[in-house]
Amino acid sequence: MEEQPGLSDQYRTASPWPVFVALGLVLSEIGVFIGLFPVAVFGLILFGGSIAGILTESGYVTRPWPTLVGVGVVLAIIAVGLAVAYVPTADITVANIGSGPVLTRLVAVAVAGVVMVAMGGVGSVMEQTKV
Amino acid sequence: MAVGDLVLTGLMAVLLVGIIALLTRIENWRSYTPLAGGGTATGEDAAVLNREKPAGIIRWLTTVDHKDIGLLYGLYGIIAFAVGGIMAMLIRVQLIAPGGAILGANAYNSILTSHGITMLFLFGTPIIAAFANYFIPLLIGADDMAFPRINAIAFWLLPPAALLIWAGFFLAPVTENMIEPAQTAWTMYTPLSVEQANPGVDLMLLGLHLSGVAATMGAINFIATVFTERGEDVSWANLDIFSWTILTQSALILFAFPLLGSAIVMLLMDRNLQTTFFAVEGGGPLLWQHLFWFFGHPEVYILVLPPMGLVSLILPKFSGRKLFGFKFVVYSTLAIGVLSFGVWAHHMFSTGMDPRLRASFMAVSLAIAIPSAVKTFNWITTMWNGRLRLATPMLFCIGFVANFIIGGVTGVFLASIPVDLVLHDTYYVVGHFHYVVMGAIGFAVFAGIYYWFPVFTGRMYQRTLGKAHFWLSMIGTNLTFFAMLALGYLGMPRRYATYEFDGAIAPLAQVSTFHLLATVGAFILLVGQLIFVWNLLQSWLEGPKIEDGDPWNLERDGMLDKEWEWYDRKLETAITDGGEDEEQSALTDGGKPKSDD
Repeated sequence: MEEQPGLSDQYRTASPWPVFVALGLVLSEIGVFIGLFPVAVFGLILFGGSIAGILTESGYVTRPWPTLVGVGVVLAIIAVGLAVAYVPTADITVANIGSGPVLTRLVAVAVAGVVMVAMGGVGSVMEQTKV
Repeated sequence: MAVGDLVLTGLMAVLLVGIIALLTRIENWRSYTPLAGGGTATGEDAAVLNREKPAGIIRWLTTVDHKDIGLLYGLYGIIAFAVGGIMAMLIRVQLIAPGGAILGANAYNSILTSHGITMLFLFGTPIIAAFANYFIPLLIGADDMAFPRINAIAFWLLPPAALLIWAGFFLAPVTENMIEPAQTAWTMYTPLSVEQANPGVDLMLLGLHLSGVAATMGAINFIATVFTERGEDVSWANLDIFSWTILTQSALILFAFPLLGSAIVMLLMDRNLQTTFFAVEGGGPLLWQHLFWFFGHPEVYILVLPPMGLVSLILPKFSGRKLFGFKFVVYSTLAIGVLSFGVWAHHMFSTGMDPRLRASFMAVSLAIAIPSAVKTFNWITTMWNGRLRLATPMLFCIGFVANFIIGGVTGVFLASIPVDLVLHDTYYVVGHFHYVVMGAIGFAVFAGIYYWFPVFTGRMYQRTLGKAHFWLSMIGTNLTFFAMLALGYLGMPRRYATYEFDGAIAPLAQVSTFHLLATVGAFILLVGQLIFVWNLLQSWLEGPKIEDGDPWNLERDGMLDKEWEWYDRKLETAITDGGEDEEQSALTDGGKPKSDD
């Protein structure tokens, strides 16, 4: 049974990932800085996912999922760290999300991180059960 | 607000599903673990590497080939040049009348800001990257850039950056002017840029930040490529001059652009998160000027060094002589690169800074004239007693040298504190740097496009149109920007949307005459550039095909560089694969026997 080769296997000088790495970075910046929650979460996920994809494709890692989990963990740690350092503990409540310039942005980054960890975990498990 | 969030979330979800669908269509993820499917090495080989690139639009969206990316950069640069050029024409038409002919003050400020940023960040840097991407690997005998994928990422950051920088123009009509184009001028001086509440400024700053990220990624890639990917026969001793200038430029980018990025983030935080980096109670507004110009002055050399490299490469080819004093041209490039970080405060002589500091910056600024003059004299000496061929690329090279002398000498005057205090913020400064950015950098870019047009397209451009483009550009440039020098002497301040002076303060009649002359020059430039675009498009589609890999007859002087050798090999293989062989075999197989009948 012959495998259908992926684009990057079939063509030596083509890769689908750079466009999405760039788009992910752009949307993350816009989302986080302007404070658009959905754009920030989506942009960061796209960015992390594309990094996992491009690293796998170019052979730096063998499977994308650990990278995705890694990027997610790093983002979540950064968000939590900044929240602990710069937001008064009393203000960190669910009711306060959406008000205040810093907390909402940090929550967006943390949510993106958690989603990536979940995606990476699920992907990893699915891959192993399929084989 | 809630509705807006919902719409955004829906939009993002649709985008996510779309991207995943697209990726699974063009990229089968299972192929990453081929052994899992029981595929063998031989089975894989049969399916892999059928062709180098996919077809159609997907080819351009997914390419990591340095030549394709070079062409994408070129297309992007020319579109940005057109947009920036139209903005320049609007500025010039506005200033025909002292009261302003077509624009309100806000519109004028927006267009002035975008013109500067577009030309410097969206045309200047990318068009240089276009040449560098296409030719550095060819010139140094590399297969591709050191990091082809990072190369593609760097390019794809630029289109969104442009959209963000221009975002205010698109969003103002649909948001009822809630989001307007930035009116900060390209220098974004604080406190003005902090106090403009308009979110369009944030979008522009984000776009600038992204273009800086792109430039930095490109620079790292060029440094790695020149250091590690050189062919066996290319050493530091025989590295070509264009690669030297790109290497120096990349080093400047590596030190300058991250600083711009940081300063922009600080400005964004001052605007949105109530920090006080540039507030009076914090770092002070002058801090911005220091940070900005610590980037901004090296940026000038980031833009001018590679075009100087282009001229140093192309001019000898049409002089029939090797570049005079090659080593010293390289040394002067490196010297300019180092000195460029020690002159930034000459943009700030009139801010009331410490006079002792001012004097030291004046000394270093004047010192830059020395390596610049070394280059100029070497170009002139290369042409001296040479066998000059005045083809279009050569005309643009000579135009470069001529305009660079005027642009450079006016710069020496401005570097002197007493002169600067009089001329600061007048049209003299505008004339000075336009002589360099249009008269020199623009001309070198044109020279490069004409010189390598056969490599890009396989065809030759139309010579008469090329020469018309040169002469219209040369006359237009000198008329427009010399008038600006004169306007500066008359005391006309830069950036003004109108100039209805009291006759007792400034000679209004002369000022409006010179503004009129500058506008006439701009129209001449416009006609020249229209001819250029027409020539480019028509010749690409219909120009005479190039037969051999030496269209400029460089073999005779022993100056055929590696890129032309590569091009010749490409032409030969193309003919063997498709054209002549097939025809012959067709003849032997089917044709002849039939005609014999």
